[in-house]
Amino acid sequence: MKYLSLIFRNISRNRVRSILTALGTMVLVLVVTLVWSVLDFLQKATSEKNANIKAIVTEKWQFPSQMPFSYAGPLSEGGPREKGDYRVKPDDSMTWQFYGGSLVQDPKQRNPLENLFAFAMEPRKIMTMMDDLDDLPKRDPKAAEEFKKVIEKMEQTKNGLIVGKDRLKLLNKTVGDKFKIYSINYKGIDLDFEVVGVVPPGRYDGSVFMRRDYLLDGLDQYERNNKKKHPLAEKTLGLVWLRVPDQPTFQKVAKQITTNPAFSSPAVKVETSSSGIGAFLDAYRDLFWGMRYLLAPAIWVTLSLVISNAISISVRERRLEFAVLKVLGFRPGHILWMVLGEALLLGLSAGLLSAGATWYFVNKVMIGIKFPIAFFPAFFIPIDALWWGVMVGGVAALAGSLLPAWSARTVKVSDVFAKIA
Amino acid sequence: MSKALSVEVRDVHKFFTRGGERLDVLNGLSLDVPQQEFLALMGPSGSGKTTLLNLIAGLDTPSSGEIQVAGAVISQMSEAALATWRTRNIGFVFQFYHLLPVLSALENVELPLLLLPLSAKQRREQALNALDIVGLADRVHHRPGQLSGGQQQRVGIARAIVTDPAIIVADEPTGDLDAKSAEAILELLVQLKSSLGKSIVMVTHDPRAAQRADRTLHLDKGRLVESGMLEHA
Repeated sequence: MKYLSLIFRNISRNRVRSILTALGTMVLVLVVTLVWSVLDFLQKATSEKNANIKAIVTEKWQFPSQMPFSYAGPLSEGGPREKGDYRVKPDDSMTWQFYGGSLVQDPKQRNPLENLFAFAMEPRKIMTMMDDLDDLPKRDPKAAEEFKKVIEKMEQTKNGLIVGKDRLKLLNKTVGDKFKIYSINYKGIDLDFEVVGVVPPGRYDGSVFMRRDYLLDGLDQYERNNKKKHPLAEKTLGLVWLRVPDQPTFQKVAKQITTNPAFSSPAVKVETSSSGIGAFLDAYRDLFWGMRYLLAPAIWVTLSLVISNAISISVRERRLEFAVLKVLGFRPGHILWMVLGEALLLGLSAGLLSAGATWYFVNKVMIGIKFPIAFFPAFFIPIDALWWGVMVGGVAALAGSLLPAWSARTVKVSDVFAKIA
Repeated sequence: MSKALSVEVRDVHKFFTRGGERLDVLNGLSLDVPQQEFLALMGPSGSGKTTLLNLIAGLDTPSSGEIQVAGAVISQMSEAALATWRTRNIGFVFQFYHLLPVLSALENVELPLLLLPLSAKQRREQALNALDIVGLADRVHHRPGQLSGGQQQRVGIARAIVTDPAIIVADEPTGDLDAKSAEAILELLVQLKSSLGKSIVMVTHDPRAAQRADRTLHLDKGRLVESGMLEHA
């Protein structure tokens, strides 16, 4: 304990230098934590799961996928064709259609901030199938109960909208507001909406949900008014999501869908959500590679050099002190560990402080890093970042202080005092 | 009956190599220091007195010859072994005190005790006792910067005796002090010898300081050139 106290006092000896070194460490730990958070999130999103798998059915040869809505029913059951085929339970699937529009009628007057882009789907599937909302009852039972009421209200309100809090703010609307949206992608299908609630804070803060039957009604209305089908009437289904219990079931469902002639025009493909996201992220592969293997290590090396520089200066200034400690009986190993201890204490503390502050600020104040990519509007700092921060700071401190500590260890008493004499 | 020896130096040579040139600092020097003797080493700069002091204190090893201190042959010990040995057997007093500025007087004196298997309470008691011996019981929480030169040297002496070593080596302990403070420090060293039974080896340039020792040895070019026993009442 006394030894630790001595280490602590040595750090506080030159406070300005210690604070500057700690600040440098904190900034670099912050950057590494942010980079790793994004990479970790994407890594988890693209890692294949063995159980409780989500499969995505999309058009095989076209992106974005535009399937006829007649695919929705049979695909939602897993595309069974023959006796004995696996049927996905109704609760374990969802369909996505996308409706985009603006509050402003005149296309020339439109401001992107007044646009919205809605997932058209069955309301109750929002809580059972959407990532990060399907586990809300476990994560936050109180928020789940509140959101359930919002879903129920949407089920009672055909033109109801559930909006993420950031999007609601951008639209300058509140719950209960009614407004008309002039469609951008479904030309001629302008719809009246009423905001019935807000999505729980998190991943969908910028998102909007509407009822799919309301969009289908709009397509029917268009046909009645114009005596012809809307150009997108047979291309309205974007994705179908299926939840299957395990890999063998996924393989079976995938096979029964892809070999079913009912889904041949247009042809569809089935992939796990992980591989689907992975394929989407393939375009960013070089960027992620650079972040993981160039940026993060470069920051780490820089951090080690900053610490090494500060500790080296300190060791040079304290050669006499180390010589005195040796005279008093301190062994070379004691001196080595004292210097390493000072660097480690500084690095570990700064790392923990930085990661903790980053976690709190990003998750609680900023509510995520806005890095919209692959349907992920924001990234959050995982709780693991606390030990990442400690590890990044500690390892950098250790690496940076090894040489200075060895130099302190090898201080020769007679040489130091000869110079003084 | 002659006293047992604290220090035995036998035919010690020490040379350094600087810029490819060999510098012989000690040339076959032999020396005995009996227990409870206060020995002064004098000589011109470069005569080898500090080198001899470092060898006796186990801060350096001889090029050849044997040194036995407090019953242990230290001339063949490794650096780590010498460090451990020094903790219990040698108290070192520096000319410029060399106290750690971030620690109080009490904590500076406690430093060598950190290396011994003692409880915090035992460490504190021993350190307070040492500070009491040197007359600084009322300055235990002062930092070095808050103490005069003489007081800092007393803390240095307390640090040297806190592990109860058999031998105290002092390298010009009065060299940085005014005459009054120097006299007080010398008086303290004499008391340590007589009341606590310590052997003291002191390097000094000051003849008045040497007069307080039991015996003075003169070194020149790495050899003892003269010795005389001074009896004190």
